[in-house]
Amino acid sequence: MTSVQLEVLLQTLISGLLLGGLYALIGIGMTLIMGVMKIINLAHGELMMVGMYVAFVLFSSFHIDPYLSVLVAVPVLFILGVLLQKFLINPVLKVEAIIPENQVILTVGIGMVLANVATIIFTSDYKSTPVDYATKAWYLSDIWKESPIELSLSMPWSVSFLLALIITALLWFFLTKTDMGKSIRATAQDKDAALLMGVNVERLRVFTFGLGSALVGAAGCLLLPIYYLYPDLGGQFTLIAFVITILGGLGSTVGAIIGGIILGIFESLTSTYAGMGWAPVGRFVIFVAALIFFPGGIVSILKRKRFGK
Amino acid sequence: MKRLTLIVLMSFVLSLCAANLFAADTFDLVIPLPLTGKQAKFGEMMKRSYEIAAEEINAKGGIKKTKLVLSFEDSGAKPETARAIVEKLIDTKKQPIIVGEYTSACAKAVAAVAEERKTPYLIVASADDDITRQNYKYVFRQNQVNAHYADSVIDFIQKVVKPKTVAILFESSNFGTSGADAMEKDALKIGMKVVLKEKYEAGSVDFKPLLSKVKAAQPDVIYMVSYVMDASLLMKQIKELRIDAKLFAGGAAGFAIPEFIDNAKDAAEYAITATLWTPQVKFPGAKEYADKYKKKFGDFPSYHGASAYSALYVTKDALERAKDWTPDGIRAAMKATNLATAFGQVKFEDKEGYQNQNFADTFVLQVIKGEHETVWPEKYASKKYVYPMPSWRERR
Repeated sequence: MTSVQLEVLLQTLISGLLLGGLYALIGIGMTLIMGVMKIINLAHGELMMVGMYVAFVLFSSFHIDPYLSVLVAVPVLFILGVLLQKFLINPVLKVEAIIPENQVILTVGIGMVLANVATIIFTSDYKSTPVDYATKAWYLSDIWKESPIELSLSMPWSVSFLLALIITALLWFFLTKTDMGKSIRATAQDKDAALLMGVNVERLRVFTFGLGSALVGAAGCLLLPIYYLYPDLGGQFTLIAFVITILGGLGSTVGAIIGGIILGIFESLTSTYAGMGWAPVGRFVIFVAALIFFPGGIVSILKRKRFGK
Repeated sequence: MKRLTLIVLMSFVLSLCAANLFAADTFDLVIPLPLTGKQAKFGEMMKRSYEIAAEEINAKGGIKKTKLVLSFEDSGAKPETARAIVEKLIDTKKQPIIVGEYTSACAKAVAAVAEERKTPYLIVASADDDITRQNYKYVFRQNQVNAHYADSVIDFIQKVVKPKTVAILFESSNFGTSGADAMEKDALKIGMKVVLKEKYEAGSVDFKPLLSKVKAAQPDVIYMVSYVMDASLLMKQIKELRIDAKLFAGGAAGFAIPEFIDNAKDAAEYAITATLWTPQVKFPGAKEYADKYKKKFGDFPSYHGASAYSALYVTKDALERAKDWTPDGIRAAMKATNLATAFGQVKFEDKEGYQNQNFADTFVLQVIKGEHETVWPEKYASKKYVYPMPSWRERR
C-alpha cells in the first residue's frame, strides 16, 4: 500500500468515525423509545428538524452558538415530546383498533404536521448558521513536520463528535445509576413485571418519549454547524435512525452506538471505494443484511457471546 | 319581490360583462416557478425580476396599449405540479404563451405539454440539452444550453491554466449529469485527461470520503456541477482537506449566486464559475436592471434574474409583432425574434441539432475578496483574474 492509498484510507476512516458518532446520537433516541414503548417513532427526523430550527433561531436573532443552544433545545424538545406522548400517542394506545400499529401511523402524521408547520413559519428556503470556525481543522503535518501523509481533523466535526459522546455517556450513567433510569430499563425488558414491581409505566412512557425527543434535538444542534437546514430534512434522518435501531438491536443503547459507528464507517468506505452515489445503497444493504443474518441486532451477538462462556 | 330578484340578477350579469370588457385591456400572464422547496431561492429572484420588467413595460404604455398583468403559480420545483399548472393555463385560461419554470426537470415536463397543445413556451433558465433537441416546434429557449455553459470556462482554462488533468464531481440530476458529460467532452477536445468523474446524491452530509479520493488523484482542475448548498459544503470540505488543485471551477447554478459566498465564506475565495450573465456586462439595460434590483433587494441578481427580466421583453416584442394573439401567431413572431436585451442579443436558431435555441456568450466569474467578479472573457472583465492562487496553507 502506497502512502497515498494509506492517506485515503485513514482519512476515510476518520470521517466515517466522526459521522458515525453523530449517527449514533440520532439513533439512540429512537431506540430508547422503541425499547420502552415497542413502537417505531417515525417523526424522529422531524423532531430533530425542530431542534435545529430552535438552534437556528437562537443563532440568527441572538447570535448564540449552535453548540450552546443544545442547552435550550434539549428542554424545549423534552417538553414537546412529553406533550406529544401525553395528548396524542397515549390516547391512541388505549383505543382498540383494527391495526395494532396505529401509533406508528400517528407518528407519521405528527412528522408531516411538524414539517409543514416549519414550512409555514420559516418557508422552505435553505437556512444555515455560518459560524466562523466552520472550516477550521487540525492537520497532521502541522504537528509532525516530516509526516509522509497529510491527515486533517475538522474542528466542528470533532466538537460535535465529542459532545455526542458526552451526551451518550450521561445517558448511560442515567440509565444505569439512577432509579428512574433503572425503571426505564426494567420497563423495556418486561413491562408487566415492571408494573407489578410498582413502576408507573404510563408516566415512564411519557418521560421516555420526552427523553428520546430531547436526545435527537441535541443531535440536531450538533449537526447544524456542519450541515444546513430545511423543513423537509427529517425524512432522511428518520431512515438513518431506523437502520441504526435495527442494526443495533431494538431498544439497546449500546447497540445504537455501535450500530451508528458501523454505519458511518461503512458509508464512508462505500463513498470512497464504490462511489458516493452508492452510499445510500450501502446503507440499505446493511439494513437487509442485519434483518436476515442477525435479526436481534448487534446486541444479540454480544449477549450470545456472554452466555456462551 | 320577483322584480327585485330580477334587478339583482341583471345587475350581476351586467357587472360580469363589464369585468369582461375591462379584461380586454389587460394581458394576463401567469408564470409557473418554484416559490417553495429546494429551488425557492432561484424562483424568488426570477419573480422579482419579472415584476421589475412588467413595471417598466406598463410604465411605457404596456404591450400595444394593453396592460401586462403578472401573477405567479408555485410549482415547488416538482415536474408533476408544473405540468398540472401549465395544463390548466392552456386548457381553461387559454393563455396563448407560457413563460417560466426553473429546473430542467420541470421545464422538460412543461415543454412536452406546450408542444402537445401547440402553445409557444419560452424557457428562461433551464439548461438540460435535451429540451431543445426533440424537434419541438413550440419550445423556445433563451438561456444557453448546458453543453455550452462551460465554453468560457474552457477558454479560460485553456489560455490561463493549461492543465493536464481534471476531476469532475456532479449531482445525480438532469442538470448535473448533462453538465458533467459536456465537461468530459470539452476536456477531451482540449487534451485534458479526466482522472475522476463521480456523482453524488444532492443533500449529502459528508463529502470527505469522495474528496480524499479526489485529493489522491491530484487533478489540476476540480470541476463541480452543483446546486447551492452542496456547492458550499463541497468548497468548505475542500478547504478542510487542503486539496490544492490549480483551479476550482463550478458549472454555474449553485456557484454563481451570492448565497454561495455567504455560506462557504472564505472557502469560496478564488473559486471560478461559469455564468450566463453578470451585472458588469455591457448589454443595453443590463446595468440599469442590476442597479434597480440591488436598490430594491440589497444584492445583485445572478443570470437567472437577468434572463427572467429579459424574457418578458422578448415576450412583449413577440406579442407586438404577432399578427394576432393566438398561439400560432405568437409562435411565428417568436421564431423571427432578433432583439437586443439586458441578457444580450436574443434570436432563436436551429443549429447543432438544437431547435429554437438562443446561443449566447458565457462568462467566467471568480470570487475575489468575497465578491463575484467577471474575469473572462477579458473584454468584459471587471477585475483581473487571480491565478495562480495561493495554497490553502498559505491562506490562513
